[in-house]
Amino acid sequence: MNRARIGALILRHLYNFKHRTDRWFDAFYWPLMDILLWGLTSIYIREASADMPNLVMILLTGLVFWQAVWRSQYEITTNLLEEMWSKNLVSLFATPLSVYEWMMGVVLLGIVKMFITLSFSFLLVFFMYQVNVFKIGWLLLPLIGLLLMSGWYIGFIVSGIIVRYGTRIQTLAWSGVYLLAPFSAIYYPVKSLPLWAQKVAKFVPTSYVFEGMRTVLFEGKMDLMMLVKSAGLSIIYLIFGGMFFVWMFNKSRKIGLSSVE
Amino acid sequence: MSKVVLEVKNLTKIFSGTFSLKKMKRGKSTVAVDNISFNIHEGEIMGLLGANGAGKTTTTQMLLGTTEKSKGKIKFFGKDFDKHRQSILQEVNYASAYTQLPRQMTVYENLLVYAKMYQVEYPKKRIAMLLEQFEMEDYRNKDIKSLSAGQLTRIILTKAFINFPRVLLLDEPTASLDPDIATSVRKFLLKQQKKYGVAMLFTSHNMAEVAEMCDRVVFLRKGKVVAEDTPEGLAKTIKHCSLRLLVGDGLKRLKVFAEGRNYQIKVKEREAEIMIKEEDVASFLNKLAKHDIKYSEISIDKPTLEDYFLQMSGEGKK
Repeated sequence: MNRARIGALILRHLYNFKHRTDRWFDAFYWPLMDILLWGLTSIYIREASADMPNLVMILLTGLVFWQAVWRSQYEITTNLLEEMWSKNLVSLFATPLSVYEWMMGVVLLGIVKMFITLSFSFLLVFFMYQVNVFKIGWLLLPLIGLLLMSGWYIGFIVSGIIVRYGTRIQTLAWSGVYLLAPFSAIYYPVKSLPLWAQKVAKFVPTSYVFEGMRTVLFEGKMDLMMLVKSAGLSIIYLIFGGMFFVWMFNKSRKIGLSSVE
Repeated sequence: MSKVVLEVKNLTKIFSGTFSLKKMKRGKSTVAVDNISFNIHEGEIMGLLGANGAGKTTTTQMLLGTTEKSKGKIKFFGKDFDKHRQSILQEVNYASAYTQLPRQMTVYENLLVYAKMYQVEYPKKRIAMLLEQFEMEDYRNKDIKSLSAGQLTRIILTKAFINFPRVLLLDEPTASLDPDIATSVRKFLLKQQKKYGVAMLFTSHNMAEVAEMCDRVVFLRKGKVVAEDTPEGLAKTIKHCSLRLLVGDGLKRLKVFAEGRNYQIKVKEREAEIMIKEEDVASFLNKLAKHDIKYSEISIDKPTLEDYFLQMSGEGKK
């Protein structure tokens, strides 16, 4: 064991830490998200412990539904990162491919892959925990559609930042979506959030979806206004997300796409 | 004169300085390409030369639209690039030693993706033909990650020809190739030029290659065009040639004699290299005889494009 070499190795990673914003992100962001998400879930479990059988269903359905958001945003961001890691971005955009065609491509790919992931997840929770997500009925389709749209707008915003600032902030591809998780009320109702967070949740389309999912599971019906509100917000955010990505992509072209590869 | 396929007019690229949080101000802007203009004709191979940082890659990237120009006009086939990007890029392609392809995909999968991107008819046939031309048929089903640098370069060149391009932008296309493969690639490029009239913009650090391939050369320095001529024409602008003598007797006298007449002289063991104007060589040798300076071997190297490059790059550094 050589102390100098160990010291040099530590120094190498400290330098890395200094220059890599994503490592800072990892150090603070994940603990914060975990504490927020699971802290709020724990409070809900403590208060609703009398209704345990439904609770398991709510937690698992929430988990499966969250996959739809995560998967659709992940598809957009990792597809972009794949091109950057392969140094293929310049070659790709040196073809007649337009930025809009690229966006459409990753969205369609996202639908296919999300369908596979969700089908697998539905089967898994059914066979392992006897939770039937199809109990939600026809509302399953609009709810999943809305979650998909949320994944897309987050995906385009995150991809916009990555395409402008390069792979040094690639951690956003995995973590960006979790920023919405505490306000989406995935495992607990919106009313169990602190008051300030409830106000934020009003502007988060996924909060209506998860809230709606719970009312369907508990009461067998859902306030359709929740769907309308979620759809309205999702459409606005999706338009904004798409425009933001195109704007950042063009900013990246100003410095040269090759410089972000 | 054949048709102009690429017209570049007053092309300029200014990179804005980045904002520094420490100084709370934006850094200085850099002019990477400064008001350059040139044309390329159908079937012409034009070299774009210059030292590192001269603006060659930025120019190429602007021509592809992957870097946004600050000013100027780019026209391919008489059409404005800004307005007709998609239809233009359908007939243009690009290869660079600095790009790669998705590593986990096979050679064939990569080429098929690009063939579809360009809507190539009968892509399988086209890929098979090109792989054969570049002697890469055996690598069709190999992953990109398993290829050597030279093999990858050949696959990137294969990709560059996939759409039957009318204009090819080649950024150091033969870098990292073995000499025999580089020769066969050059032959292939010249054949495409002759057979299909493919025009090429060619950047390379191999001056012998540029001299062999290019009909015309544009020399860039600090983003500006400082010369434009044939490779021979540029080399001829250098007045001095290199006179090498293997001196038997009188090496010291030769040094004094040459330096006394302001000729640059380098001596290594018994070999002396004198930089001298071509028309002065005969009288110089006559005078050596009179001074009883004896030599057993003599060679005269005329200036090449490489000498021109070195001179121009050197001036740029000053």
